[in-house]
Amino acid sequence: MKKILAVLLGLLIFSSLAMAGGKQEATGQKQTKEAVQKPVSIALWTKEGEADGGLQYVKALADAFTKAHPNVTFEVVNKNVETLREDFQTASLAGSPPDLLWTVSDHAGPFTAADLIQPVGNLFDLSKYVGSALAAVKLNGKAWGVPISNGNQLMLIYNKALIANPPKNTDELMKVGKQLTHGDQYGLVWNQTEPFWLVPWLGGFGGKVFAADGKTPTLDTPQMVATLKFLHDMKYKYKIIPAESDYNGADTLFKEGKAAMIINGDWSLGGYKKVLGDNLGVARIPKVSSTGIWPKPYTSGVFFMIPKDLSGAKLEAVKAFINFTTDKANQLEMVKKLTRLPALKSALDDPLIKNDPILKGSADQMIVGTPMPTVLEMRSNWDAMKPEMQAVLANKKSPEAAAKAMQRAAVASIKAQQ
Amino acid sequence: MHSLNLVIIRNSLGQVGFTVIVIVLASAAIEAVLYVALKVILKNKYALPVMLLAPAAVGLIMLVVYPVFYEFKIAFSNMSLRHFKNPSYGLGRGWDNLKLIFTQPVLKQVMFFPLLLRTILWTAIQISFHVSLGLGLAILLNRPMKLRGLYRTILIIPWAIPQVIAALTWRGEFQYQYGFINIMLRDIGLAAIQWKSDPFWNFVAMNITNIWLGVPFMMIILLGGLQSISSEYYEAAEIDGASGWDRFKSITLPMLSPVMAPAVILGTIWTFNNFNIPFFINENELETSDILVTALFRAAFQYNRYGFAAAFAFVIFLVLFIFAVLYMRATGGLKGVYEK
Repeated sequence: MKKILAVLLGLLIFSSLAMAGGKQEATGQKQTKEAVQKPVSIALWTKEGEADGGLQYVKALADAFTKAHPNVTFEVVNKNVETLREDFQTASLAGSPPDLLWTVSDHAGPFTAADLIQPVGNLFDLSKYVGSALAAVKLNGKAWGVPISNGNQLMLIYNKALIANPPKNTDELMKVGKQLTHGDQYGLVWNQTEPFWLVPWLGGFGGKVFAADGKTPTLDTPQMVATLKFLHDMKYKYKIIPAESDYNGADTLFKEGKAAMIINGDWSLGGYKKVLGDNLGVARIPKVSSTGIWPKPYTSGVFFMIPKDLSGAKLEAVKAFINFTTDKANQLEMVKKLTRLPALKSALDDPLIKNDPILKGSADQMIVGTPMPTVLEMRSNWDAMKPEMQAVLANKKSPEAAAKAMQRAAVASIKAQQ
Repeated sequence: MHSLNLVIIRNSLGQVGFTVIVIVLASAAIEAVLYVALKVILKNKYALPVMLLAPAAVGLIMLVVYPVFYEFKIAFSNMSLRHFKNPSYGLGRGWDNLKLIFTQPVLKQVMFFPLLLRTILWTAIQISFHVSLGLGLAILLNRPMKLRGLYRTILIIPWAIPQVIAALTWRGEFQYQYGFINIMLRDIGLAAIQWKSDPFWNFVAMNITNIWLGVPFMMIILLGGLQSISSEYYEAAEIDGASGWDRFKSITLPMLSPVMAPAVILGTIWTFNNFNIPFFINENELETSDILVTALFRAAFQYNRYGFAAAFAFVIFLVLFIFAVLYMRATGGLKGVYEK
C-alpha cells in the first residue's frame, strides 16, 4: 500500500508541476510580440457547403495560407446558416467559441445584441471594399464584418435546354411554367420552407417587413396577404411548382434537368455552371404583373466575423488570413470558382466580371434588390414568417390568417427579447 | 480531401492530450487525498469504496449536478440575446417566466397545453406499439426454432444503429420526389404524400420512424423476461387444462411485469423526452410536430429565450416526475413479483 501511496503522491507532485508549467507558458504566450511565429490553430466555421464547391474553396484557401505560414493551421467546419448562428451563440455562452466565422450579414444583429463579436473598423482598411457590401454589416455606426463577397441575392436561374427565354413578368411565368410542368418535370422550383424566398415577392407586391423606423414589423398588410396568395396560387392554381420541396429537393431537381427554372442565390451559380455549362442562364425574378414592380430580393454578402475575445497571436493570424482571402488575386479566384461578385473594389472592375454573362445577370438582379435588414428584430420577423408561410403552402391556413399570425408572433418575439 | 496521416494524428493527440493528462492527474490527486485522509489519518473502514466511487462521483457532479443547478439559476433570470452576458436574476423573473409558459405561446403559435397533450399522445402511441409489437416478437422468438439467433440479430439492428443516423436516413426516405416511400406509393398508383409539410403526415412520419427504432429494445427486454420464466409453470397449467390465452394472461403477463414495468417507465420517459426523432424528421420545423423537448430546444437555441426555456425545462421535469411516481405507485412496478 505504501508503494501505491508513494506513486500517487509522486503523480500529484508531478501534476502540480505540470500545471504550473502550463500556466507559465500561457502567460509567456501573451507577452511575446512575435506571436506569428508560434504555432497557431484557427477554428474556422463557415456556412459554405460542399454541394456548390464553397467548402472546398474555403479549405483550399486555408491550405494555401498554411503553406505560406506553416505555423498557422486551420480546422474548417461547415455548418448550415442557422446552425452556425445557434452553435456560435451556445459555444460563446460556454466560453469556447471558434476563432473566426465566415457567414452571412444578418448574423451581425443577434451577435452584436449578445455582445459576441468585435468591430473590425480598427483592424482593417475597410475603404478598399464595396460600400454596399459594408453597409450590410454596419450597426450603431460600426462595421462588424469584413466582406468576402457581395450580393447573396436570389435570382431566376434557368436551364436553356428547357426554356430559351426567361419570363419577364408573373403572367408569363405562370403561362410558361404550366407548359413546362409535365410528368416528373416542373416549370419552377424554389425552397418552399424558408421565408427568404418569400421576401422578393413581398417587395414585388410593394410590401416591406419593417415600418420606416426599421424595427417595427409590418407583416399583417394587404401586400403580405397578396404575396401569400400569389405563392399559394403558384402551387394550387397554376401548379407550376412541386407539391413539396426544400432547398436540397429544389436544387437536385434543377441539377437533374427536371426543373426549367429555379429561384436561388448567387452562391449556387458555381455549382450550376459545373452541371449545366453553357445551358445556364440568369435573369431577374419576373416582374409582378399586377403591380408592375420588380421583386426585391435581399442583398447582403458573405462576411468574416471575429469573436469578441479573440486576441494575441490568434487575432494576428486571423487578420492575416482575412487580408489574404480578400486580396485581389484570391477575390478573382473566387469569382472564377464560385461565380460570386467580389467585395473588393479593385476586383470588381476586372474584365473577368464585365465579360461574364452569368455575373452580368447576377449584377442586374442586384440592382433591384434591397439591403437585408441586420437588426435583431429581423430575427423575430424570419421566425414569425417561416411557420405561417409553410402553413399557407400546405393549404392549412388562409393568407389573411397567416399574415395576422405572423405579425402577432413577431411582436411577441421582439417583446420577449427586451 | 486530407487523408488521415501521422501529422493529423499527432496534432489531434496534441489537442486532446493535455486534457486527458489533466483528468488522469486530477483523479490521481483526488485518490491520494482521500487515501491520506480516510485510510491513513481517520482509518475509516469505507476508505476503499469511497476511493473507488470518487472519480465517478466527481464526474457526475461536474457533468450532471452542476448543470442542473446552473439551469435552475437561469430559470430565475431574464437571459436572452439582449441580456446574454449580464442577465438580471430574481424571484420575480422566475415567476414571470413561469407565467409566460402557461399564458403565451411557447413557440410562435403553439401554447403549452396543446403541446403537452400532443406529447402525451405521441408517448401513448409509441409505448403501445413498442410494447405490443415488442411482446409479440419476443413471444415468437421465445420458442425453439431454427436460425433463432439470426432472426434476433436482424430484429435488433434498428436499435443498434445510432439514432441520429437512423433519423436522418428516414428523413431522406420521406422526401417528396426521391424518397422510397413516395416512389412506392406512386408505383402502386396512389398519390405521393407531403410528409414534410403536411402537419398530420409529418406526425405520422415521426411515429413510423420511432416505432421502427423502439420495438427492438422492448423486444430484447421482454425476451429476457420470458426466458426467465420457468417452464414448470406452463407444464403445470397445461396439465390443469389451461388454454393458450389463459397461460398468457395468468402466467406470462404477471411473471413478466417486474421486467415490463421498469421497461415501460424507462420507455415512457425516453419517448416523452425523445429529441432526435421529432427534431430531425420534422425538417421544416412545423410547430405542429413539436413535442415538449423539441419546443424547449427551439425556445432556447433558436429563439434565444434562455431564462424562459430554463423555467420551461423544470416544468417538463415536474410532469415526468409526477408521472413516474404515480406509475410506480399504481403498478408497484419496482417490487418483486412475490412481494405483491
